Amino acid sequence: MEEQIAELTAQLAELTASAGVTNTMFAETFYYLTIPLMIIIHAGFLAYEMGASRTKNVLSSGVKNILAFAFMIPTFYFFGWWIYWALPTGITLSAGPAGISGGEYASSIALGWGDAAQYMGPNIADQASGVFFGAFALFAATTASIMSGAVIERIQTVGFIILAIVLGSFAWVVAAAWGWHADGWLVTKFGVHDFGAAGLVHAVAGFFALGVLINLGPRIGKFNADGSANHIAGHNMPLTITGLMLIIVGFFGFLMACVIVPGEAWSWFGDKGATIYGTPITLSALSFNILMAVAGGIIGAWIFTKDPFWMMSGALAGIISTASGLDIYFPAQAFVIAFSAGIIMKPCADWLERRGIDDAVGAVTVHGTIGLYGVIMLGVMASGFPALQGAAGEVPVITLTGQIIGAAVFGLLGFVPGYGVSFILKKMGMLRTPAAAEIAGLDTTKVPAQGYPEGIPVSAAPAE
Amino acid sequence: MGFPFETASWDVVDGAMFIGWGTVMPGVYTLIAAVICVYTLWAGNRAEQKHYKRVEK
Repeated sequence: MEEQIAELTAQLAELTASAGVTNTMFAETFYYLTIPLMIIIHAGFLAYEMGASRTKNVLSSGVKNILAFAFMIPTFYFFGWWIYWALPTGITLSAGPAGISGGEYASSIALGWGDAAQYMGPNIADQASGVFFGAFALFAATTASIMSGAVIERIQTVGFIILAIVLGSFAWVVAAAWGWHADGWLVTKFGVHDFGAAGLVHAVAGFFALGVLINLGPRIGKFNADGSANHIAGHNMPLTITGLMLIIVGFFGFLMACVIVPGEAWSWFGDKGATIYGTPITLSALSFNILMAVAGGIIGAWIFTKDPFWMMSGALAGIISTASGLDIYFPAQAFVIAFSAGIIMKPCADWLERRGIDDAVGAVTVHGTIGLYGVIMLGVMASGFPALQGAAGEVPVITLTGQIIGAAVFGLLGFVPGYGVSFILKKMGMLRTPAAAEIAGLDTTKVPAQGYPEGIPVSAAPAE
Repeated sequence: MGFPFETASWDVVDGAMFIGWGTVMPGVYTLIAAVICVYTLWAGNRAEQKHYKRVEK
């Protein structure tokens, strides 16, 4: 009998260990696969802004987008990852209540030298740090890409890369530390809840782009002497629309990466998934709500625009407007919010244009305005819901006031560095291309290749 | 930079397993990589400004 018990105990231990290995491998694979999915976002932005460029600038737009990705990864490795773990409680670098933040903690896990380097490279005992870093680095690349499309056809390449680094490896990371971390002060003090990063990625990027656009100025020929705007059509609408669809595909990976899987030492729960705040979530919730939001955004945009560019932008606006609460919205509710975002998107873009802002792809509106709209809508819809995991009465709850404060902070975290750094670059002559280069075309000025060496045929005239 | 353990076997490795672990080399490589990025931006900007000047002439 004792022998049988010992044998069963040994078998149980073996099974438990085996299940643990399977869970760890699953967790590692889960986040690893979000990385190529998020690279599809970047492919989408690449196609989107190349299509939105005129033929004379198409490759230049592509070069800057590719370089943004390339510089985002190492700079996020050098300091972005450290900022995320160091700053949740504010600029004091002090440790937060969850014990996973502060300068000391960040320096022990997120530096490429000293003892911390063991978590910043191959480590047989650490199957989490690399995939988490990868997912966050791709969040950073996505954020920088959002700004990229707005400034096409007149921004200098290196000036743009510097701005992309400030946005992707600093500005949004501070927003994430404050509002997307269990120790983040916006979360612990104001109950800010932004599951899918409507504010801390999209609004930060959108308002960063606005700050840049003010200093950059419009493309030559965009506005007439009386202030009225001309439409500058991109050279390839199908490429732009396909790019937008690729962004939608990639966002399934982006939002999947916002889920904390169960069963690991760093998980919130042993038996269920959680948001980054430790509140419960399932991938099924995402499936229901993202799909309904995409549909709602497209339909809302179609009503007034009938334009495939704005319809696909509406799909993106649908996701962004619901991103803060994809974990708790009812699908039909997500549809309604997304539908409203699809409707207001184009008037918001037109309003901005009437104020002399030349946003070539509508990024300020789709990501910035709709991002803030999404953060605030969650405050309207979900007041009283726990914003963070914890015992009743001890955790902050979602409130409209808290979401408005969060939205304001996210907007400022984008706009202020975007305006400030682009102002400095402007003074240094590194922001805008000279008029002669803009008129001749940026490809012929500085790209040693041709986008369409055999030309492209003219398409049919548009409908009235 | 040899294998940083007495026995040349992966069986003795239970943590970091990259070249240079436990030495200053990860920091040195990090610094070199950072310098490459900064230099590329500096050189890239110089080249870009030359292109613009050529077009303006």
